[in-house]
Amino acid sequence: MEQKWSYLVEEYRAMLYRIAFSNMKNRADAEDAVQEAFLRYMKEEKPIQNKEHEKAWLIRTTIHICLDILKSGWYQKTVPWNESFENAAKHIYLPYQVRDDETLEAVLQLPVHYRNPIYLFYYEDYTIHEIAGILNEKEGTIKTRLRRGREEVKKILTEGRP
Amino acid sequence: MGIQEVQNQGGTPAYQKKKKAGRTEGFQESFLQNLKNRDRAKNADTAVDTEAKQAVTDTRGEVKTNAGKVGMGRIGAAPGIRVNAAATQETLQAVEVRHMSYEESDHVRIAVTEGYTLKGKREEGGDARVYVEAKYEDGRVEAYQVDMAKVPEQSEHVIERFALETMQEA
Repeated sequence: MEQKWSYLVEEYRAMLYRIAFSNMKNRADAEDAVQEAFLRYMKEEKPIQNKEHEKAWLIRTTIHICLDILKSGWYQKTVPWNESFENAAKHIYLPYQVRDDETLEAVLQLPVHYRNPIYLFYYEDYTIHEIAGILNEKEGTIKTRLRRGREEVKKILTEGRP
Repeated sequence: MGIQEVQNQGGTPAYQKKKKAGRTEGFQESFLQNLKNRDRAKNADTAVDTEAKQAVTDTRGEVKTNAGKVGMGRIGAAPGIRVNAAATQETLQAVEVRHMSYEESDHVRIAVTEGYTLKGKREEGGDARVYVEAKYEDGRVEAYQVDMAKVPEQSEHVIERFALETMQEA
């Protein structure tokens, strides 16, 4: 059993951390969200057999935890200790080389409904079908958000604001 | 309260016939107008198709002199990479999509503002070939095999350029 958990953590930790960081823009909060997601998975009564389902479940749960933290009154009244929101992209260690940190930085500034589809599509290489399943939205909605999100990214890069 | 006088008792009520001829005529007119417009639009489409075909033929002629002069473009409303006919025939060969991950790729390009991602991997074997997978914002995934022996070093074609970068990375 312990082996299964350690495998699970090794397999998904980095990816979940990146997704959590793209939402929280703060290392400590991102780590908390990922740990909470693993804990919820362990407590899950129905065992998830399918690997793809397992991955999608963990991503969805991590995003929900992040959004819950961001919405909480405590979070909104506090300021992160010794963390800078600037250069957040430098904290995301992707398993491949990204030469354009500026664009990633712009993506991280997007509103949440654009940020998650864009991040999952471009930086984690998910398909529109998979993103629709993870975010519990229709494929058409995801396509629209990708298109509008791209326009927002352009606006941030040219005008410096979303 | 008096007694209400009822005409046509026992039969079907005699409703006053309102003259709607004007409205019907108006409808018929607009319907006929719409039909005419549709025919006109159809003819215009055919004309556009003919013009487009002519343009493609013209472009092919131009491509022979300006080989490799291609770049980013839009296919309809969706973002995409315009693949030059000459480049496709000579250096790019459309192949089956392998759904290669970023980790498996030798080189990755994420073009958020253009709406696509490219993944490249140098093929194993004697010939210098690069497998390139392009994923677009509208969900399309296309794959090409690039024959590096035929790619000019100064190529401006997006996929050829990316394949050259992949060769350097691999």
